[in-house]
Amino acid sequence: MSEMWINMGPQHPMTHGLWNLRVKIDGERILDVDPEMGYLHRGIEKISEDRHYNEVVTLMDRSCYVAGLNWEHLYILASEQALHISPPERAEYIRMMCAEFQRIGSHIMWYAAFVQDIGLMTPFLYGMRDRDLVLDLFQSFTGARMTYEYMRVGGVRNDLPPPFLAQARKVLDWLVPRFKEYDELCIGSDIFHKRCDNLGVLSASECVRHGVTGPMLRSAGLKRDLRKDRPYSMYRDVDFDVALADGADVTGRYLVRMEEMRQSIRILRQVLDWLEHHPGPVMADQLPRWLGAPYAPVGKEGYVLKRNYAKGVGFSSIEEPHGEAQAYVVNEGSERPYRVKFRSPVFANISAARQYLVGYRVADIPPIMGSVDPCIGEVDR
Amino acid sequence: MQPDDLARTLSPKLGDLLLGVEPFEGMAGRVRFRREGALDLFRVVRDDLSFTHLSMVGGVDWVDHREVFYVAWSDSLRQYLLLSTDVPAEDPRVESASSVWPSANWHERETWELVGVSFDHHPDLRHLLTPDGYAFHPLLRSFKLHEPEELEVKSRHV
Amino acid sequence: MTTPAARTATPAPSESPAGDLALGKELPMADQPAVPFVEIETLRVKEFIPAAKEALSSLVAEQGQARVIRPVFNWAGRNSLFPLHWGLACCAIEFAAGFGARWDAERFGVVPRSSPRQADLMIVNGTVTWKVAHKLITLYEQMAEPKWVIAMGNCATGGGPFRTAYSVVPGVDKLVPVDVYIAGCPPRPEAMLDGILKLEQLIRERKE
Repeated sequence: MSEMWINMGPQHPMTHGLWNLRVKIDGERILDVDPEMGYLHRGIEKISEDRHYNEVVTLMDRSCYVAGLNWEHLYILASEQALHISPPERAEYIRMMCAEFQRIGSHIMWYAAFVQDIGLMTPFLYGMRDRDLVLDLFQSFTGARMTYEYMRVGGVRNDLPPPFLAQARKVLDWLVPRFKEYDELCIGSDIFHKRCDNLGVLSASECVRHGVTGPMLRSAGLKRDLRKDRPYSMYRDVDFDVALADGADVTGRYLVRMEEMRQSIRILRQVLDWLEHHPGPVMADQLPRWLGAPYAPVGKEGYVLKRNYAKGVGFSSIEEPHGEAQAYVVNEGSERPYRVKFRSPVFANISAARQYLVGYRVADIPPIMGSVDPCIGEVDR
Repeated sequence: MQPDDLARTLSPKLGDLLLGVEPFEGMAGRVRFRREGALDLFRVVRDDLSFTHLSMVGGVDWVDHREVFYVAWSDSLRQYLLLSTDVPAEDPRVESASSVWPSANWHERETWELVGVSFDHHPDLRHLLTPDGYAFHPLLRSFKLHEPEELEVKSRHV
Repeated sequence: MTTPAARTATPAPSESPAGDLALGKELPMADQPAVPFVEIETLRVKEFIPAAKEALSSLVAEQGQARVIRPVFNWAGRNSLFPLHWGLACCAIEFAAGFGARWDAERFGVVPRSSPRQADLMIVNGTVTWKVAHKLITLYEQMAEPKWVIAMGNCATGGGPFRTAYSVVPGVDKLVPVDVYIAGCPPRPEAMLDGILKLEQLIRERKE
C-alpha cells in the first residue's frame, strides 16, 4: 500500500475551529499526524503589553470564547498577585460562581459540537437550548452573551441584580434532569458506544509525560484537579468531588465531563446560598487611581500617570473546562503589564495528538479530536 | 516543600550552576540557574524532586538579556516550581528540555518563534503559530505594533 | 372526468381515442384498450411544455428578461442561501447558536454546507489572520457563482480589538468582496439573521 499525507483542515467539519491536522495514512490506518496551528494567532500576548491591566480582560474573553469567564478569572488572579491587590470575599465568590456556570456552558457547548461528530443531530439542538439558558444568566448581570468583560483587578465590575439568585436556582433545577436526558441519548445508544469505546486511549503516565491535563487526564484515572490540589478563590470552602473515569478513551472523557457538570451544580448551590446571606462590596477599596473603579472611566490624567507601583510577578493556575490553564504576569511598575504569558490546556492536549491518534482509522479522527474539546482561540492566542 | 529544602537538594548536585532559590508566592520556589546546567537541573528536578509534569515554558525579553522560565508540577507534592535562567541577547540559546519532559516540545517552539530564544537539540524546531519563514520575533520589546493609520496602506498587499 | 368503474359500464364510442385526450373531454371507453395513466400524463406534458415555452417566450419578448427570468432566479437564490460551514473564532459560536433551537436559522432556508462547492454564501465569522488569508481566498474561489460574502463581527469587518496586531488582516474586504457587514463583538444570533435578511434583500434587487 502507498502512504500519503492528507490535510484535514483548516476548513473541515472535524476541526471545530481553525487548524489543520496533517495525517499520514496507509489506506484507512493512521501512521503519523502533525497538527498545524497558528491560523488564529492574533498576538494577544503582544497586544496585552500595550494595554492597561483592566483592558486586557477584553482580550481574555476572546482568547477562549467558550470559557471567557474562566480566562478572565485566570488573568485577574495573576494580575492581582503581580500588583499586590486582594479582592473582597464576595467578589471571590461571584468569580467562583461565574467560573462554574461557565464550566457548565462550555461543557454543554462541547457536548453539542461533539455529538455531531459521531452523527447524532438531536443532542446538538438539546445542548444549544440549555446553553442559551446559562448564557441568559450571564447576560442578566454582565450584559453580554459571550464576551463579558466582567472581572476587574480587585473585584468584579458590578454586583448581581436582585432577581438573579432565584433565576439561577431555577436554571439549575432545569439542568439536572437534562443531564439524564443527555446520557440517555448518548450512553444509552449503541451507536455511541460503537464509535467511542476504546478510542484515543492515552494512559495516565503518557498524559503526564506530554503535559495533557483536564478531563483527558481524569478519564485516565489520575485524580488531579487544581480546585482540590491547589485551591484558588474560595474553592477551599465548598464541598465537591473530583470527577474520575477509567478507560482513558473517548467514552471516559464524555463521562468525566458529564460528572463535572453535576459537581458544578453542587458547587453552585453552595455558592448561591453563600451569596444570598453575605452582602458586601465587590471591589477592593484603596485601588491605585490608574487602575480605575467600576463604572468610573479612567480619566485622562489617569492614563498618563506613571505611578511607581511595587514591582512583582504573578502566577496563577486554574482548572479551566479544558484543563489546566496558567498565566504569568510580569509587573514592572507601570500601568501596563510588561509581559503576559498564558498556558493553554488545549495547546498541550493537541500537542500530544500523535500519542492518541496513531494506529486508529481515519474515521476515528472526528470522535477522538472532538473528545479533546479543541478551542483554537486559546491555543493560538 | 520550601525554598530551603530545594536549595539543600539542588546545590550539592549542581554546584555553582545554581544561582539561587527564592521564595515565590503560591509555588515551592523560584530556582535561578546558569544555562549550562539546564539539562542536569531538569533531570534532578524531575527524578529527585518528583516534578514530573512540565506545564509551561516561556520567555521574557529584558532588552539587555532574555529570560527563559519553566513551570513544573509535582503530583506527590501538589506544588508548582518555577525555574528560570538568563540568556544573553546576542546569543539567545539554551538546551532543550524536551528530552527530559516531552511536553516541552511545543512550548519551546512557541518561545523560539515569539521571543527568539533558540533551543539546542530540539527535535523539531519549526514555526508553530506564525507562518513559515516569518522573520520577526514579535514578543521582543523592539518589535512595535502597527499604528491604526498605518494599516490602510500596509494592508493592500495580500 | 369519469371514474374507472363508470368507464367500464358505459358503451364504447366509435372514434379513435387519440384526439380526445385534452383535459375535460370523455376518455376512451371499454372495448378499446384503455390508455394507461402514465401515457396520458406523458401526452399532457408533451403538449404542456411547448405551450408553456411559447407563453414564456412571448412574455419575455413582451416584458424583457430582467422582468421575468431574473426574479425567478433571485427568488430561488435568496430562499436557499447555503453558507459555508466553517468557524474562525468567537463569532462561530454565535453562528452555531443561530442554528440551535432558539433561533433556528434553517427556517430562512439557510443550511450550512461543509463543501465550498455546495455553498453560495461565505460567512466570515471571526478574525482573519494573514496565515489563513490565502486559504480563505481559495475557498472563496472554489464556491460556485453566484456567491456572496457576509463579514460577521468587528474582526471580519475591520480587525476589531486585534486591529493593531501583527498577524491580523484588518477587515476581510481586503481579501474578498463583502456584501453585508454585521457589527458586534460578537453579533448576537438575531444580528446574524438580520444580516442574512439584508442579503436576501440585496439579492431580491439584483439586476444581473
